[in-house]
Formats: sequence, C-alpha cells, structure tokens
Amino acid sequence: MSFLTVEDLHINLGEFYLKEVFFQLDQGDYLTIIGPTGAGKTILLESLIGFWAPDKGRIYLEGKEITKEPPEHRRIGIVYQDYALLPHFSVFKNIAYGLKKKYKHGIEERVRDIASALCIDHLLHRKPATLSGGEQQRVALARALVAEPKLLLMDEPFSALDSRTRRDTRLLVKRAIKERHTTVIHVTHDLIDAWFLANKVAVFREGHLLQFGPLDEVFTRPRSEFIADFVGVTMLEGRVKAQEHGLTVIGVDGIDFRSLDEAGVGTDVTLAIRPEDIIVSRGPLEQVSVQNRIEALLEDIVPEGKTSLLRLRAHDMPLSVLVTRNALHQLQLAPGDMVWANIKSANVRIVRDPIGTDIEPVRE
Amino acid sequence: MANLFKNLLITFTFLITGLLVFAIAALFMVPELSDVWQSFWSEEMLYSLRLSLWTGLISTGLVMVFSLPIGYSLSRFQFFGKGFAKTIIDLPVAFPELVLGLCLLLLFGNTFVGRIFQWMGLNFVFTKQGVVAAQFFTALPYASRIMKSTFDYIDPRMEFVSRSLGYSMSETFMNVSLPLAKNGIMASTVIAFARCIGTFGTVLILAGGTYMKTEVLPMTLYLNISYGNMGMALTSGIVLMVVSFLAIYVFERTEAAL
Repeated sequence: MSFLTVEDLHINLGEFYLKEVFFQLDQGDYLTIIGPTGAGKTILLESLIGFWAPDKGRIYLEGKEITKEPPEHRRIGIVYQDYALLPHFSVFKNIAYGLKKKYKHGIEERVRDIASALCIDHLLHRKPATLSGGEQQRVALARALVAEPKLLLMDEPFSALDSRTRRDTRLLVKRAIKERHTTVIHVTHDLIDAWFLANKVAVFREGHLLQFGPLDEVFTRPRSEFIADFVGVTMLEGRVKAQEHGLTVIGVDGIDFRSLDEAGVGTDVTLAIRPEDIIVSRGPLEQVSVQNRIEALLEDIVPEGKTSLLRLRAHDMPLSVLVTRNALHQLQLAPGDMVWANIKSANVRIVRDPIGTDIEPVRE
Repeated sequence: MANLFKNLLITFTFLITGLLVFAIAALFMVPELSDVWQSFWSEEMLYSLRLSLWTGLISTGLVMVFSLPIGYSLSRFQFFGKGFAKTIIDLPVAFPELVLGLCLLLLFGNTFVGRIFQWMGLNFVFTKQGVVAAQFFTALPYASRIMKSTFDYIDPRMEFVSRSLGYSMSETFMNVSLPLAKNGIMASTVIAFARCIGTFGTVLILAGGTYMKTEVLPMTLYLNISYGNMGMALTSGIVLMVVSFLAIYVFERTEAAL
C-alpha cells in the first residue's frame, strides 16, 4: 500500500487545470514537481490539501480516501513561496498556532525545539514583517513541521531568496526533513532543489503529468524532448547499427555512439546525454576508457554562474556540455574552436523510440 | 507639452477643491456664532441630535453585522447567483435615495413582508424604526463594498495555512480573517455611520419628516429651511459637516494603514 495515491485527478479552475494525474509516493519520499509556469503545479498542491475539490479522481493518504475531507482533517502542511505568515502574530505565535489546536501542554518546548533546529530561536518575539526573507521562510517551515504533518507541501519555498540564503535554507530544510522522516512534495523551478533534496521527480506541463519517477531516471531518461529541454538533457534520434562487445552501437547523423543500454539492431531509438556527463578536450584522448570521442565545433559559450554551458555541433548534431569556469580558463576555449567531446558509454542512455513531443500523460 | 498637460490637470483639481472649500467655509461664516450656539441648545436640535446619534449607532451596528458576512462571501466564495446578489446589494449606491425610500415604503407597507415584520412588533412606516431601516438600507452597500475590498486584499493563502493547521473555516475566520480586516472594519464602520447620520431622502419617504418624532439632523435642516429659520438650518448643517469631517478623517487614517 502506498503512502499517497493520486488517482485520475481532474480539476478545472478555468485558467488553470489538471487532467488525468496519477502517481504514488512511499513514506519518506521527497518529490519535486517541475514544469513551466501555468503547468498546474500549485493547483495540485492545493487540491491535495483540500482547498480545491477535484472534478474527478481520488486521493488516498495512508490507505484512507481523503478526497472529500476538509483541509483541517487531512494533516497536510503547506509552505508557500511568500511564506503566508500571520502578520498580527509574533514568530512564536505563528509557530505555536497549529500546536494550540493539538496540545494543551508542552507547546513552548516544542516551539523552542523546532526554532532551534531551524536557527530562528532568537527571533521568537519578533513580528514577521521585521524578518528577512530567509528568516520568514524558516518560520513558515517551522510552523508547518512542528504540527507534525503526515505530508508536507512546499510551493517554490526558496524562489524569493537570494542565492546564498537559498543554499543555507536548503541545507537546513534537508536536515529538518530527514530527521523527521517527513514525506514532501516540493514545487520548484530550480533544478538544484531536485538534485539536492529529491528522490523522485514529476514533470508537469499544461495540466498534464508528463513524467514521474526516480530522480535519476527523469534526469537521464526524459520521456520527451520537452522534458529533456526542461531538465537540460541533449536528446538525439538514431538507429541501432550493431551489438559489439556488450555495447549497443547507434548511428546518429553519421556518428557512432556506444551505449551500455540494450536495444534491437535496426530499431529507431532516442539517446539522452546530460551536459555534465561530457568531457571536453582540445585533442582526442588516448588510452582512456571513454568509448565515445566526437570531434565538434564550439559554437557558443553561455556563462551560468560558476559554470558555463558550451554549445557544440558535430555535423548537424547539437551537444550541450557543462564545464567549470576553471576548466574553461585552463583550456582557453573560444567560439569557433574545434574540440573533442568524450562520453562514457554508461552516460549515453537509450530512452525510447521515437521522441515524443506532444503532451502524453503518464499513468503510474 | 507634458508640463502644460500636468498643470492643466492640477488646475482642474484646485478649481473644484477651491469651490468646495468656499462652500464649506460659507456654512461657518454666514451665521452669527451666538445664533449657532443658541440653536444648538434648543429642544428641537437636541432631540434631533440625540435621535440621529441613537438611530445612527443602531443602524451602523446592524449594517456591520450584515456587511461582514456579505463582504466575505462575495470576496471568497463562488456560488450560484453571486453576480445577481452583488448587483442588487450595490444598487442603492446608484439609486436616488427618494426611490429607495419609496421601494422600502411599498415593501414595509401592506405586503406580506411588512405584515411579517409587524407581527414581530416592527413597524417601519412613519416610525423611528423606519429611520433605522432607511439608514440601514442606504449605508449597507457602502459598507459591504468596503468589506469586500478589505477581504480581497487579504491573501487567502493565510486562511489556507490556518485550515491546514487544523482550524475550521469559522475558526479561521475568527482567528485570521477578522483580525487582519480590522482596519477595513474600522473604515467601513465610520463610512456607514456617516452615511446613516446623513441619510435624508430614504428617511423622509419611509419614516416621514415629522417634527420632534422622526426628526433627524438632515430633517431638521430641511424643515427649518422650509420655515425660513436659517439659524437652526445652518446649525444642523454645521453639526452634520463636523460628523462628516470626523468620519472622513478616521477613514483616511485607517485606509492609509490598510
């Protein structure tokens, strides 16, 4: 029996909607939901918590159907991007608010414990309006966690924070949630949240769940070009040419790729390669275990903070490569240079045949 | 060119402001101060002031009791007939007061609604109770509109969070929505009171303008101007003006705090 089951959920709020959403979570799972704006991510959270009644479908929590339960009976907590702290209460009262409904004694102790775990114990007497964004977010998280929810929902909780505060808050959240073994659904636009916190990922677009699965699977074997693009994966279409020494040889635009994944000779397949799985060198690497060495033109360099995205082209085939600023400096690369892209066969994933570009809901 | 346009707009603003300032100042400058003082302490004026304050307070209380749930429902819920209800509740804002008074007179006269109220001991036609009813229906749309916009400004996610923490809808209303709406409630109360005190047409038609019976301040002004008793008319005008000034001052202060 799954901890959370969402079964054929349909909801239509006019501008935003959800259609045919199926997924299941186990206790302790950390699911990140990603997708463009208007994909229906927030509606999903608010229908799980009970603020919107689904037009169709069922929600089960710990085996019990909660589709028509009022929000106050579900024991599902929520943390919003803009915190939704109660401005007329102090930080202490905000955190204690949920506890007052459950306990008569020990409220202060519980508030101080969670405040200490989230490093906000020195702010308890303050009003929310006097706190920084990071502090307010930790108060909102403390308020949700202290009520011991069965399921915690977070709607872009870090997006209003600056990068340093976001990193620190992410660390605190990870520790607090791990200690409590809380099951979490976290909507985000930041893929780092998914990498850092999640064990499962769901991708939504226009109200449809496009892909749901373990983090590694979604990020390395996206089911469509849209997902690949969203999670930063290069997708290539090719045909299996042969099986050699336990490797599958796939021809893509006149270039042979070798993959550890299996597929029948003559079948059309799609390859997925993550940009951080490609090693760039000035010349061909000799006497190394890398099975794929491709000469390509460096078309463009896009700086992204501490890393840079290199856009390569081999024949008509585009490849994206992520390198550190330091590596870029050492190799002295510039657009127009010829470089070599080196990829281990384990990092060339065969995903499916052929690439789907349309919206195809996934049923788990 | 931009400056010319800007100055033209500002000139329009000051033109009307100036006219209004002169009109208000005339009310204070025309009468003799001793006349105003004497009129203020007259039996008729004191009766009128007392009746205005009492009926105004009762009507305002009733208006707030109804405008809070009306404003909250219109702001938060989607329900069948919402648009119709909103239009009808707002209608008296655009209605001439005399027409509203006539509608109420017909309703509370010889219809089954009027008879139900009479059976309950409430007779609104040409009585003090009628003054309250007239003030209530005139002020209700203003208060409901302010309450609706107040609740519109309160992020519903604060209420969602409260529900998720185990509080029912009514507990959330009491713990979250109502405290956060306190400035709006204050503003709404003040405006409702000012409207109640100043209502003339509706009161005249429903409750009648009977000397020392249903005589509220606007009625004193009207009756005395009809008799040519300018001292009493101006004094009731000044009292109404002071109440309005206080109301607008409190409204502006609370609106600024919203």
